[in-house]
Amino acid sequence: MRLLISIKEGMSKRISTLALLLALVAAFPFAMSASGHDDGGELDVKEIIFEHLGDGYGWEVPFAHVYRIPLPVIVKSEDGKWFCFSSDDLTEIDVTENKETGKVTKHLVPVVKIIKKDGKEYRFTLAKEGDHKDKVVELIPDGNGYREYRPLDISITKNVAALFIAAILVTAMVMGLVRYYRRKGLRAPRKGMGFFEMLVSFVYYDTIKSTLGESTKRFAPYLLTCFFFILTMNLVGLIVIFPGGANLTGNIAVTLVLAFMTFVVTNIFGTKHYWKEIFWPDVPLFLKFPLPIMQMIEVFGIFTKPAALCVRLFANMMGGHIIVITLTLLIFIFAAFGAGVAGGATVISVLFSIFMLLLDVLVSFIQAYVFTLLSALFISMAVVKEHEHNAEGDEAYPQKEHRDRQEIAEEKKALADLAKEVDA
Amino acid sequence: MELFTPDFGLVFWMFIAFILLFLVLAKWGWPVIIKMMDSRAATIDQGVEDAKQAKEQLDNAREEAKKYVVEAQARQAEMLRDAARMKTEIIEQAKNEAADAARKEMDAAKAAIEQARKEAELQFRNEVGRFSIDIAEKMVRNQMKSDKAQTELVNKLLDEIEKN
Repeated sequence: MRLLISIKEGMSKRISTLALLLALVAAFPFAMSASGHDDGGELDVKEIIFEHLGDGYGWEVPFAHVYRIPLPVIVKSEDGKWFCFSSDDLTEIDVTENKETGKVTKHLVPVVKIIKKDGKEYRFTLAKEGDHKDKVVELIPDGNGYREYRPLDISITKNVAALFIAAILVTAMVMGLVRYYRRKGLRAPRKGMGFFEMLVSFVYYDTIKSTLGESTKRFAPYLLTCFFFILTMNLVGLIVIFPGGANLTGNIAVTLVLAFMTFVVTNIFGTKHYWKEIFWPDVPLFLKFPLPIMQMIEVFGIFTKPAALCVRLFANMMGGHIIVITLTLLIFIFAAFGAGVAGGATVISVLFSIFMLLLDVLVSFIQAYVFTLLSALFISMAVVKEHEHNAEGDEAYPQKEHRDRQEIAEEKKALADLAKEVDA
Repeated sequence: MELFTPDFGLVFWMFIAFILLFLVLAKWGWPVIIKMMDSRAATIDQGVEDAKQAKEQLDNAREEAKKYVVEAQARQAEMLRDAARMKTEIIEQAKNEAADAARKEMDAAKAAIEQARKEAELQFRNEVGRFSIDIAEKMVRNQMKSDKAQTELVNKLLDEIEKN
């Protein structure tokens, strides 16, 4: 009872702290309008959302619109030469002062980077408009002007850097656990390592092993790597400032590669039975002989499965990011209606953003899990043997039932043994 | 739509990063972790099994010990009973032997006494014989002091011979 009261007290304390924080947040727009500090210019919501969802050559730092952490740009020019330079060289800070109000505004504007190589001048800049907007383009002299050429671009962009950070984090976690095992042997790890190990065991025993059965050992490393890489990318993407903030798994290129990997693994390890199911399934003859209807559907299915994986992860993560950004932008949209409205909108949008971010943490986990589970399922369908195959596309379930039955039999036996012992 | 067109650079790096990550983890990461988790699970199972067996053995040992105690107690009682019986036997035997010895002694004494008595009797008889002969001699001599007596005796003897 006392414990309950103390919990309640703690809760009410926390709630009052939260209320205070929200009040401060609500007061922020008043302070802003009072000080007359304003960046000016119209708010381009679509532009901001797309900037946050998309990639960039530099990495934003908090509280500074015009500063970016420079990252290397690596491009191959039209005549086949490689160039590597800092992303800082592509932009500069443009300071303009409004003469009437005395307000100073700063903008980041693209500039032309000129590199001399082998006696020739190469010009690179960020495209201002067109198909390659905000991407690096090479300016090639064309008559009296320049034409834009989009070079082969393997720059270490914000997303690529975030990708490396995520990969390093996963490696560090796994190797940390391995090192722990090397040092402490069979002792169970505690705290963070314990949680990580719990996740590994959850994914390995409850997802991979229960789906793949005897071919677990062969595919577990791939599936585990998938799960933890996706999970880390998802979670790092939710952190708003520097090491995070990159919308990685909400980028179709990333999910495309992941889905492609599953596609490759599924089809490389596909058994004879798997291919037979595709090109000569057990259906009435008229469905497959003169007109290969079933074959067409099955072949189509080979590609739709990984495509679904790709789009599911991409859409879920991007949706989460869009909602959080939109909710945050509500503050600035409502700012136009005066301080009072902005204060109210701030409270609501902060509360909703927190809720959405927490939901996104859950979604991050669920999507990583779903991707791994479905990959395991597709692989198990591809490596299935003739005698294991029961129902169309439902190999995992009969196996599970079979195992359950076996378990029940074992339990019964154990109980019988126990009874015998008791009798004895 | 820019969002739906994969960027080549990102695809390229993602591919490399994923392959590298997979190779590193598949070689040095996951197998170790999986092996460790498996072996720990096996160790725990084994531990439970061992504990169960140990408890069983302990129970068995306790039972056996109880059995031994009961047996020992029975044997002790038996031994005590044997000892008591033996004691009485020994006492009895000793008594008998003592009685036998006493009887033998008595018999020997009796025989000796009898012997002594017989010898004494014999001696006494001899003595008595000698005394009676002496007495008879003295009497005879007294009677035969006169010649008349002697002649009378001779005559009497002669008569007797003649009669025959």
